[in-house]
Amino acid sequence: MGFGQFLAAPEYDLKIITYRDIFQNTALESSRGGEEYLNRSAVIKIDVNDMKKMGFKEKSNVILKNSFARVVVSVQLSEYEEAHEGIAYMTNSPWSNALVSADDGTGVPKFKMITATISDAKDEKITTYDI
Amino acid sequence: MEQEYYVCTGCALLCDDIEIEVTDNKLSKVNNACLKGVARLKECAKPAECKVDGSNVNIDDAIKEASSILKNAPNPLIFGMGNSTTGAQKKAIELAKRTNAYIDDTSSFCQGPVIEAILGDRIRTCTLDEVKDYADVIVYWGADPSNSHPRHLSKYTYFPRGKERQRGWEEDRTAICIDVRKSDTAIICGDKFYQIPPQADEELIDALVSALSGKVPKVSFGMGPKKILELANLLKKAKFGVVCVGLGLIYSLSDIEPLVKLMNKLNDVSNFHLIPMVGQFNMRGFDHNLHEETGYINRARFQESGVEHGPQCSIVELLRTKNVDAALVIGSDPMSSLPGSIAKELLDIPVITIDPCMTMTSKKAKVAIASVTSGAECGGTAIRMDGVEVEFKPMIPTDSLSDEEILSRIMEAL
Repeated sequence: MGFGQFLAAPEYDLKIITYRDIFQNTALESSRGGEEYLNRSAVIKIDVNDMKKMGFKEKSNVILKNSFARVVVSVQLSEYEEAHEGIAYMTNSPWSNALVSADDGTGVPKFKMITATISDAKDEKITTYDI
Repeated sequence: MEQEYYVCTGCALLCDDIEIEVTDNKLSKVNNACLKGVARLKECAKPAECKVDGSNVNIDDAIKEASSILKNAPNPLIFGMGNSTTGAQKKAIELAKRTNAYIDDTSSFCQGPVIEAILGDRIRTCTLDEVKDYADVIVYWGADPSNSHPRHLSKYTYFPRGKERQRGWEEDRTAICIDVRKSDTAIICGDKFYQIPPQADEELIDALVSALSGKVPKVSFGMGPKKILELANLLKKAKFGVVCVGLGLIYSLSDIEPLVKLMNKLNDVSNFHLIPMVGQFNMRGFDHNLHEETGYINRARFQESGVEHGPQCSIVELLRTKNVDAALVIGSDPMSSLPGSIAKELLDIPVITIDPCMTMTSKKAKVAIASVTSGAECGGTAIRMDGVEVEFKPMIPTDSLSDEEILSRIMEAL
């Protein structure tokens, strides 16, 4: 265990946009709770420049945190060619839903307005749910 | 032998050209359906089992326990039903009346406002068959059907030949995508993709209304007046236009009024319709059925004095404010689909699930009741995303009970 273990990892602000993915959606039926569903759900996709700035390695684990939850997911490079710094993408899943607010009394959660911080999860494992 | 076709209940497109192969009374092949449809109809990874407090029981005991919970709860909630037949939905509404329950569905936090506006004749709509035959301008706004409804473009809205659209997508149709990200559908739309920042939909709507009114449109983000005027002109010139509204747009608006304003303006200068991109195969059916019964599409409570309605009767608010003491969840998985801070409240009350598959909710439920997959093992009717009623027959025989039969048995046991 090195000295770096005790240093707090820097946190960066992100807006997270959720989206539908046919393969993840299919895995919900055919691999509910299985590896394929987890691999397609517990993932955040970020811009290439953000990846460099934040110093994450592709497919390393990161902590997403806001006042509603703290989850550990895998960070991956977004496939989109256009730059989208500060904006990240996640599929709809318990991992993204954990970070959604729903306390304004309207009965409609803010599924498309997630803000959270992202930081290196070091050795922490991906959050699991009993699916 | 003449080919027999079936209906896919994988989503609210209700594709009616499905071919199947059956081996030993099980679906061995589902042809013509998309990945999602095949998965829904035949690939349930973990079929549900009847359980009470985590122990396996027979269905009679599970139904008896479910009935006892509902009978003794002063404030029960009935939720879901988007993956149930119309017959089952009507039974659920009857059960809500019998138990003075709250009743709500997923439209409460997705397409509800749009369906309400359509049923209230505030927004003009059309059928998917009309889109196929006549639509020349198709707008996917905050929607990515290539992922959410994979056959939407190929079966109805963009690629097929129609009565007055014989040249199909190559010459007869213009597909436009407005979204915050370059989705797979946006890629198909090519240079007709209009990317906007998150939460900028209302601003673009205002700019489009200005442009359609002959004014110079302005927005605060990087889309110049020329680009907005180009989009407005495409919409104005439509002979038969349709806006396919997805959750990206719905969640960005604080209410439906900007969309009503845009549709009215489009119909002042052109000919436009709107179709909601409904997810579960019969969510719209539930909204129609509850509307017929109460005048409301969701978020209702049956009481001796009448029907209460409002955000306080929504599943999100009921759980957040801890105002329910039991929940019957039918064909839905709120533990997975609701915000974590809301879903966790389900752990504090007795939950009953009726589902063909094991779900995050059924795993935590006090009572889990296994049902059949509607469309695969039981027939019925459903309302497609465009409001058309579709009848379907079962694909394979079963001895197990449907949602409708289970709900009837619960009511008998009350």
